[in-house]
Amino acid sequence: MSHHIEFAGLKKVFGTGPDAVQAFGPVDLSIAEGEFISLLGPSGCGKSTLMMMTSGLLEATEGTVTIGGSQVKGPQTDIGVMFQDNTLVPWRTVRGNVELQLEMRGKSLKEFSDKIDNLLASVHLDDFADRHPYELSGGMQQRAAFCQAMVHDPKTMLLDEPLGKLDAMTRERIRSDLQRLWMQERATVIFVTHSIEEAVQLSTKVAVITPRPGTIERIIEIDLPFPRDFDVKNSPEFTAHVREIQEIFRGYGVI
Amino acid sequence: MESFDKKPMFAAMKLRLQNSWMFVAFFIGFFLVWEYSVIFFDIPLYILTPPSLIVEKGAADLDRLLYYTYVTGTEVVLGYGVAVILALPLGLAIAFSSLLKRTIYPFIVCIEMVPKIAFAPLFISWLGFGLLPKVIIVFLVCFFPIVLNAILAFSSLSEELTLFCRSTGAGVWRTFFKVRLPAALPQCFVGFKYAAINATVGAAIAEFIGSDKGLGFYIQIVTGNMRPDLAFAGIFFLTLLGLSLFGIVTLAERLLIPWHISVRRT
Repeated sequence: MSHHIEFAGLKKVFGTGPDAVQAFGPVDLSIAEGEFISLLGPSGCGKSTLMMMTSGLLEATEGTVTIGGSQVKGPQTDIGVMFQDNTLVPWRTVRGNVELQLEMRGKSLKEFSDKIDNLLASVHLDDFADRHPYELSGGMQQRAAFCQAMVHDPKTMLLDEPLGKLDAMTRERIRSDLQRLWMQERATVIFVTHSIEEAVQLSTKVAVITPRPGTIERIIEIDLPFPRDFDVKNSPEFTAHVREIQEIFRGYGVI
Repeated sequence: MESFDKKPMFAAMKLRLQNSWMFVAFFIGFFLVWEYSVIFFDIPLYILTPPSLIVEKGAADLDRLLYYTYVTGTEVVLGYGVAVILALPLGLAIAFSSLLKRTIYPFIVCIEMVPKIAFAPLFISWLGFGLLPKVIIVFLVCFFPIVLNAILAFSSLSEELTLFCRSTGAGVWRTFFKVRLPAALPQCFVGFKYAAINATVGAAIAEFIGSDKGLGFYIQIVTGNMRPDLAFAGIFFLTLLGLSLFGIVTLAERLLIPWHISVRRT
């Protein structure tokens, strides 16, 4: 069974009556299995609302979300979630935090021991497995959070601006870590960001979202080879995609 | 929570001692000034006694002081203990029940505004001069800070962690023991520590109002007999009692939440 995600007429309204605010939609979108799709848009365009509805943590006002053929009606457990503020707990070590994901799901730690080692090594945290989050830099914390979010082999990953609070240089490095992890695991990823370059670099598709209410303005296929390193980012194709998206936002007066 | 090395803690303590010589000097200076002012200004001994005399006379009356410390200590430990045992589960229940949050919670906030110590004469008139009214008053001054901080502690899990827990599909109990409880402990300890400070104050005032033993009783009687030296000795033991309770709570905090910013030293 293919594990694709389908949004049909999806809409979210907050509040009722004259005070109601239409936060999002209606949106129709189909995401193929193994795709890395970025939801790109300015603050307040409802990107996070869409993420919450996808994970079943927020109920849609209208329309449906379907994952792998079955409609989302409550919190989805076959997903990995990650936010701008990470979900590392301060009383556990890096390794303990990754294990928390498994313990919460009642999975055997033994079985996943090698997997944890591999994940931590692939984001260069193997030497920091026994440190606590507060002993790490912001970038290292987010890398640990990636491991936490994907240790249980989720088929779908929802990443809500996971790099949002990092400085530009750290962000650049972690993007390539994230890309490597994705190429390794090939989960379906929905990635929320407001960085155009980030979206183009990481994604197979970019959904450009315009605000009030948030709707998908255009879906752009990014047909560039992975891994997208420095050379790819300097290519004319890359720049052309970035410019195309900038034009859309300029048309809306966002930038 | 397990792998915290104790050695750096002692190194840090040593460093703190080294840094605290000025405080120690000031402390000694304070008592010297006190000692010699009494002599220099010729203050009558029934008004203020020099520290040396407090130590001397206090030592002579040590048996009584120790027994009364035991009496007041019992009131403090019982009142505080019962407050912790009742307030923590109640705080937890209020944090998770919207019904209790709309009924008992506002009631507790209202009662919190009332100075609990004002009930002391009533409890003594109802229940006599014994142990029970004192325990109740200590309980009252400890209960509210613990329950209010527990409510805050258990209802302030970050939105991200709440969503994380839900996304794992973990049940209520697993979520509670793995995430909610450890996350709530630091704020709970704010209440425990505040209550620990209140406890001896409550016990002393309750004894002032009506009792036939205990440090509060002792301080009141010796002051009436124009013996400030013994009153200060009583105050010293009362302070010791308060510090011990606070110290035990702080130690428990170090052991239970060594990872928290208020405790760790990096």
